[in-house]
Amino acid sequence: MNSREITLIGPEGTNLFVFFQFLILNLISWFNLYLLENTLEFNLSNVLFRQIIFSLLGVAVFFLFTYISINNIYNLSEVLLFSSTVLLFGVLFTQESLGARRRYDLGIIDVQPSEFTKIILVIVIAKFLAESSKNIWIIAGVIANVLLIFLQPDLGTTLILLILIFLLMFISSTRIIFLVTVLISSFFGFLALLELNLVNRFQVKRITDFYSDIQDFSQTQARLQISLGGLTGQSIDENISIFVPVQTTDFIFSAFSKNFGFLGNIMLFSLWVLFALRVRRLVLKSDYVFEKFLLSGFIILFFIQIFINVFTVLGLIPLTGDPFPLLSLGGSSILATSAAFGIINRSFIENNLTI
Amino acid sequence: MFNSKRLNIVLSLALSLFFIIILNLYNIQINKQGDVESEILRQNFQTFYIPAARGDILDVNGNELATSKFKSYLYINTSKISDENRNYYQQYIEYNYENLSTNEITKILQSNSPLVAVGEILDKSKTLTDINSYQAFLIYEIPYRVYENNKLFAHVVGYTGVPTLEEEVKFINSKRNNTVGKNGLERAYDNVLSGTPGKITIKNGEIVDYTPPIKGQTLKTSLDLNLQTVVRNSLVEGIDLANKNFDTESLIQRGAVVVQKIDTGEIVSMVSLPDFNPNQFIEGISNYDFIKLNREKAFNNYAIQGLYPPGSVFKVVAHWLALNENLYPEGANFYDDKIDCEGSLSFRFNDGSQQVYKDWKIDGHGSVDLGTSIQKSCNVYFWDIALKIWRTYGESESESILQDYAKSIGFGTQTLIDLPFEKFGVIPDRDLFEEWKTTRPELVRAEGWLGGDLMNLIIGQGAITATPIQVSNAYRSLVVGQKDKPYLSSEYFEPNAKEIDITSGDRKLLLDDLGKVTDRGGTAFKSFSIMGDISKDVGGKTGTAQNPGDLNDTSWFVGIDSLSDPKFVIVVVVEEGGSGSAVSAPITRRIIQYLRGLDMTPVEFGEVTE
Repeated sequence: MNSREITLIGPEGTNLFVFFQFLILNLISWFNLYLLENTLEFNLSNVLFRQIIFSLLGVAVFFLFTYISINNIYNLSEVLLFSSTVLLFGVLFTQESLGARRRYDLGIIDVQPSEFTKIILVIVIAKFLAESSKNIWIIAGVIANVLLIFLQPDLGTTLILLILIFLLMFISSTRIIFLVTVLISSFFGFLALLELNLVNRFQVKRITDFYSDIQDFSQTQARLQISLGGLTGQSIDENISIFVPVQTTDFIFSAFSKNFGFLGNIMLFSLWVLFALRVRRLVLKSDYVFEKFLLSGFIILFFIQIFINVFTVLGLIPLTGDPFPLLSLGGSSILATSAAFGIINRSFIENNLTI
Repeated sequence: MFNSKRLNIVLSLALSLFFIIILNLYNIQINKQGDVESEILRQNFQTFYIPAARGDILDVNGNELATSKFKSYLYINTSKISDENRNYYQQYIEYNYENLSTNEITKILQSNSPLVAVGEILDKSKTLTDINSYQAFLIYEIPYRVYENNKLFAHVVGYTGVPTLEEEVKFINSKRNNTVGKNGLERAYDNVLSGTPGKITIKNGEIVDYTPPIKGQTLKTSLDLNLQTVVRNSLVEGIDLANKNFDTESLIQRGAVVVQKIDTGEIVSMVSLPDFNPNQFIEGISNYDFIKLNREKAFNNYAIQGLYPPGSVFKVVAHWLALNENLYPEGANFYDDKIDCEGSLSFRFNDGSQQVYKDWKIDGHGSVDLGTSIQKSCNVYFWDIALKIWRTYGESESESILQDYAKSIGFGTQTLIDLPFEKFGVIPDRDLFEEWKTTRPELVRAEGWLGGDLMNLIIGQGAITATPIQVSNAYRSLVVGQKDKPYLSSEYFEPNAKEIDITSGDRKLLLDDLGKVTDRGGTAFKSFSIMGDISKDVGGKTGTAQNPGDLNDTSWFVGIDSLSDPKFVIVVVVEEGGSGSAVSAPITRRIIQYLRGLDMTPVEFGEVTE
């Protein structure tokens, strides 16, 4: 389908818009962590150094996926789904940490397979929707993945995947009556799970607390920190700081808001909206149905993660532990997002769009 | 099938969610709803307040009545205590502060407060070298109150203490100073005397800012230390004398004196007995002492809180009324028209009841006019005036003319002296009795207000009560012809004088008649005769108010130091002190001797009269 020679950088081999978007978001996360920590030390216990290392690895992954054609991705999807299932199954036998089994501890770094599952499910579902003959084993695999993540337990990621699947079905011309049925049955399904005590009680408590008057400490602190940012960032006094739990990962957005203020927030969201609109143009232009679903799926996945993360930080929904793409500290999340950006980049090139 | 329309719907939904986020961020970051800023400061800085020294209270000559001194205290910065050094501090405190139990030391070391006091430093130079190696220790000078004259000004100056929750709200600096004026001038002028507390700001365990405390302002008063000493001694002598001469059920121990300057209305001396040593409150009064003093009712300032029937000292109101309204007993039309006092008065009221009122002097005072009725404290003459009022105005709007006169010179209400917790007193009339029928039925008869009540009132008996400060201010008002608040601090005094309806001739006549009381033939002659001819220039009025039951009479005397040049009103009251002329008059005489620069002679028991 595409015979263009791929080079590492430059108009011939890379879409500059995608690449610079990717770089800018990475640089913002470095700058943000630097303002937060004020130190850069060259060992992996320093969060900024960790993030820089992951970002550089992310650039490598970006180009790795730029070299893989969309067709290859299409053909690899079953393999990817199988690997994801195996990894998610294996993670259930690891050491429990903070009441959940979510990651493989590889010494200096952890690997969180569910981050990769998000990307893999977009690929798998895109292929499933693009094909005319439906493979029942794909459905089973997707359900298995979601269930395995639910069992970790990781309600936040489970929720993200369910919304993702639902929205992908929505844009695939599925009949509305069917979608409504899915919505209603998942609502009662969740209630049934609650009744059967299959939902982790800490997570149930987060939800019940949210609907009572108990203010979550992290969310209260996060709002205080966000208010410190003012219009242009850190408006009151450099010496003033607010303690926010899990600051560098799940609550990184409140630190960003403090450092860059209201204008910084608008700038960050504008970058993502511009990116989405640019990808949308490609989706509309492309004739390749798998590619349409794939690109839309990535944009939808990014946005779901951003909304769940920011809504959590702002205290608009109960506490969930989801990263902000490319802003939160976390190797698996960065590498998975980098792969998605690499695939998007490849897609632009295959459509002869270099800028 | 890929549906582009639906993709657009999803993206539009995303845009609206971004919009919601932006709105929320605008509210948090730009509008800053709620008390975000204060909460941020609270989380970032801890503040600790060092009490400020209270301002001095001085007498008229600059003598210190209340001062502040300092003690050095060892404080500990708890955020610098860690698991590694906890033992060093524990040992240091155990060694140097033996009075602290291990439990108390643990409490100090684990306190949530940024700074905690360990204890007073006795050897400062040693501690100063010690704390070089103990980084968490700090030394602060903490003020404490000293009352140099101990008991002498206990009630009028008052004392300080730890504020209650209500006081923390009412007195702005009291919480941070951990001190508030509890009574007397200390309370009335708390916002003048309490200084601005020092402020220590701590961030991450380090002191980042220190504002030293500012001492409160000095309060100059009209009190006179030397006079106060004389007054207290005289009152103590008089009370001793009363105990020797009367066989009362309980010890006579309560009394009060007010000395007021006539030209300004300032209070130059105020004594109330029994008293207490306010320094005890500063060091922490023992429970035993407190209960004992409380049982004696030693914390009451009887000069402004003692409610007594004023007895015959109240007759000056009728004296003024008779002259002003030209209202004399039946058969008399002028000031010096005489009536015959036979020692009792029998009369018939409109309701047909026949009554006989007996004067305190059974044989009667003979032929008396208004002046001699004051001089000899003849009740019959004043009862006749009351009868005249009753018959002239009875049950009309002017029925309460006597009460109106009394109220216009401050009876029945607070004088608004610059001291807290002043009592109101009572001037009874028909309305009050009607009110009491429902609220305090044990005090009144079913018939309500009767002529007999007015006859009681005119000689200061019955339901009427007054405080010594009211009596003093009333006499001063009659002498100068205008009424204002009495006060102790001219600096903060806001004049609000009201003219009262008394002619200068009547004022002169009143002084003349008060003069007769201490002169030959007067009730207080015996007590004042030791002054020789000077007693002719001194005036006064005795009062012996009957009390219910077996209680001894309340002894009153109101003195004027000089008739030719009146400078001071002296009011003396001794609860259960018996006759005014026997006990309170000689106390007043001794005070007047001091005020006139004469040699003071001991308080001697005078003639028993009313």
